[in-house]
Amino acid sequence: MAEAGAGGEAPRYRGGFNEDTWEQELEAIPMFMKRCPAEIDAARQPELACLQSLLFDEERSPAELARLYKNEGNEYFREKDYRKAVISYTEGLRKKCEDPELRAMLHTNRAAAQAHLGNYRSALNDAIQARKLKPTHLKAIIRGALCHLELKNFSEAIAWCEEGLQIDSKEKKLVEVRAKADKLKRAEERDARKAKVMERKEQCQKESLLAAIKERNIKVVLEPSNEEEEMSDGLAEMSLDGFHSDNAMGAKVHLDADGNLNWPVLFLYPEHEQTDFIAAFHENTRFIDHLMVMFAELPPWDLERKYLPDSLELYFEDEEKAEMYEVNPEHTLLQVLQHQRYFVKAGTPTVLAFVKHSPFSKKYFSSKKVHRL
Amino acid sequence: MSEASLSAAMSEEAEVEAAAAALAALLAPAAGAAARAGAAEAAAALSGTAAGRRLLAARPEALAALAALAAEPGAGAAAAAARRCLVNVSAEPAARGALLAALPALLPLLPGGAGCGLLANVCREPAAARRVLRALRQRGPGLAPLLEALRGPAPPPPELGPLLCNLSQVPEGRRGLLDRSRCSVQRLLPFTQYKDSAVHRRGIVGALRNCCFEHEHHEWLLSDEVDVLPFLLLPLAGPEEFPEEEMERLPADLQYLPQDKQREEEPDIRKMLLEAIMLLTATKAGRHVVREKGAYLILRELHRWERDPDVLSACEKLIQVLIGDEPGPGMENLLEVSVPEEVEQQLQRLDREEDERRRREQAEQREAQACPEELAP
Repeated sequence: MAEAGAGGEAPRYRGGFNEDTWEQELEAIPMFMKRCPAEIDAARQPELACLQSLLFDEERSPAELARLYKNEGNEYFREKDYRKAVISYTEGLRKKCEDPELRAMLHTNRAAAQAHLGNYRSALNDAIQARKLKPTHLKAIIRGALCHLELKNFSEAIAWCEEGLQIDSKEKKLVEVRAKADKLKRAEERDARKAKVMERKEQCQKESLLAAIKERNIKVVLEPSNEEEEMSDGLAEMSLDGFHSDNAMGAKVHLDADGNLNWPVLFLYPEHEQTDFIAAFHENTRFIDHLMVMFAELPPWDLERKYLPDSLELYFEDEEKAEMYEVNPEHTLLQVLQHQRYFVKAGTPTVLAFVKHSPFSKKYFSSKKVHRL
Repeated sequence: MSEASLSAAMSEEAEVEAAAAALAALLAPAAGAAARAGAAEAAAALSGTAAGRRLLAARPEALAALAALAAEPGAGAAAAAARRCLVNVSAEPAARGALLAALPALLPLLPGGAGCGLLANVCREPAAARRVLRALRQRGPGLAPLLEALRGPAPPPPELGPLLCNLSQVPEGRRGLLDRSRCSVQRLLPFTQYKDSAVHRRGIVGALRNCCFEHEHHEWLLSDEVDVLPFLLLPLAGPEEFPEEEMERLPADLQYLPQDKQREEEPDIRKMLLEAIMLLTATKAGRHVVREKGAYLILRELHRWERDPDVLSACEKLIQVLIGDEPGPGMENLLEVSVPEEVEQQLQRLDREEDERRRREQAEQREAQACPEELAP
């Protein structure tokens, strides 16, 4: 071409391709198309629209049309355009041809396309339909088994494989899928056993916890449980459901390895409307030991620098009688919890801290009865 | 022997011969339904005694007639009686030849219980097992109908296990079970815990153990495609709880077993399970997999619980293999190691001495237990 143009203009013929766009122009001719365009615009591609109408002429028999749609679907499938494949197969099925074998194939192929799209339920339905039409259709059985596998219906997957193996006991894919489904089923059974064991353990722990609390004669305020629920015997005073632990940290009382209770404890400072939270206060440790740590450095809200461990007084409130009881900081948590008038509320023991002889504390106590040490 | 008694014995023999011939004739189709039924019942009754069995075993024509009757469709009670008779007689080694000759008539009885039972007896002998396998292959489906019977949904006949076990004593039988292109050996696995029949269970475990002699298949058997190990360990596992790190090492099937989990109650089956696992540890790769899957944990607990001395010994040997050092180069496959003659003899002698010692200890223990009772006032 280049050489021909060197001496002068190359002889042109009418209707030839443009040098620069010849590839696109070639693609536009139906005969040379490598891929079918997404939409066929009758105006711009009249030849293609014509061919299409020739192919899919309604005068053809349903079986012929179904076959054409199947082939079209297979083409799309090969190109991995599964959505279009599903549409084609669906069109083929809508022709309601009388050939059960053909319909079975359409269902099976559509099932495969659906599976590739991740629509395993639809795929399974198609596989079931295919089998109804042709019970020995191995491809449908394999597809159905695979769908059940994806849907985690392991027993059904195994059952489908077994039925397929009855038709062809050497079908490789079926042997494979059966092994896989069996393994997953056994793993599922293990998970169920594990859940049961964990539940039992948890129940056991709950019971020993409540037993420990009861043993220590610690009184607990219960959340109101459902009216329908009867209090069971034995643990009647403390039903498992009523004993909630309600604190912002979600911490719960627990029994440690040595059989000691560790409680979440809330310290309230009414003067400054501040709080401190000890997530696990060992029942045999003394309040003063904790205060020494908590107030080793003065808290930021203590502007008057009064909250020193030795300057603090601790109290708990008997809400029922609206009375205050002073707590000896040298006492352990257990000793306090065992106080006759102490009730643990929301699973979180609470103490109030005041500065000794402070005006605030005087004012606070003025309206209440206070039991001092 | 006097002449009189000799001739008496001979005429008795002749009478028996005549009776047997008559029996065969009465069993033939030409005799008519009622006669056949009666003859079959008589034969079944005869097979109830050892002498009767020996008698029948020596009469191939009677056995052939019974075989023809046993599988006949529509023969009803007569066929059932014939089957009963044959199962009994098949216990006699003398009957083997005649029964093998009648295989074409007997094979259709499979996978029914009677067919399995009588062929299981016949196949005790390896050559017979080979003949049966050949006949099954010639008929077409080979072991497939037997394996199908394992699948269900109806429970398999208890004699099926022993049949598979006896067929697996020859390589051809094992090859049939170890066919990778099918789902074959996988069908046996759930039955290692089959509660409904110890006979069937014993047979299945025996068949699996025999399969474990094929060490080229070990890797496949231990892989996910078959996953034989959990099924061998499960009957040996008890309800003991393991701490979390140990539990997570076990195969899924052995994790979080319920509190009412019971071990295999038959000691001989426990021993076969241990033998099967032992065979799987013959190769280095196999040992590695068995170790990785936490077999030691199960065996440790078994060892604590086990009372039977034979089983205990097998358990100890296996534990030794699992926790012992790896054997030196050239010994990677213990099944293929050639042991020099003198060493072999010495090892056998040591084994015998150990057995002796154990038996003596057992006897002493029993005596010790007996004494206090005697001394009690």
